[in-house]
Amino acid sequence: MGCDVVTVSTDTQFVHLAWKKSEKELAAVKYPMAADPTGKVSRMFGVYDEAAGLALRGTFVISPDGVLLNSEVNFYNMGRNIDELMRKFKANVYMGKKPNEVCPSKWKDEGDKTLVNPGAKMVGKVHEALNG
Amino acid sequence: MADTTLEPLVRLGHPVPDFELAVYDPVKDDFGQFVLAQQKANKRWTILFFYPADFTFV
Repeated sequence: MGCDVVTVSTDTQFVHLAWKKSEKELAAVKYPMAADPTGKVSRMFGVYDEAAGLALRGTFVISPDGVLLNSEVNFYNMGRNIDELMRKFKANVYMGKKPNEVCPSKWKDEGDKTLVNPGAKMVGKVHEALNG
Repeated sequence: MADTTLEPLVRLGHPVPDFELAVYDPVKDDFGQFVLAQQKANKRWTILFFYPADFTFV
């Protein structure tokens, strides 16, 4: 299933173009760079800093049905871990295919241990379910 | 500190209201539009990646 990454800041698309063309660190960038100068969409996702007019470092995974499945917001001074984002994204895709399974914190990829049909029998027995 | 005065309209596990954003598309080297409704029509996953500003030290 396909996935599209879209970056968003309160800069305009014109500034995105200028930045992309001048900054060599962005040479490999292929994703669309979205402009939210009014902060409308940033407010929608709760990442708009009214005092500064800037968006905080928010990451949101939206399913093909348009449902929000993951949200992470970091303050200005904290970078994001892309491996963790990809882990969560893969887990969302996997659980979309296997709705009766849940992905524990150590789950990394298909084939790793999941919990199947968590319910009354698993209460107090998660250790056995994970290591059995 | 940051002042996010408005409650977010989005909730985990709930549909995201439709929205559109103007984009710069580096592949086409042209301007365009991101449309959430289009993503749903095309059955595509979306990762939205907000950051404070261009020309800073991401």
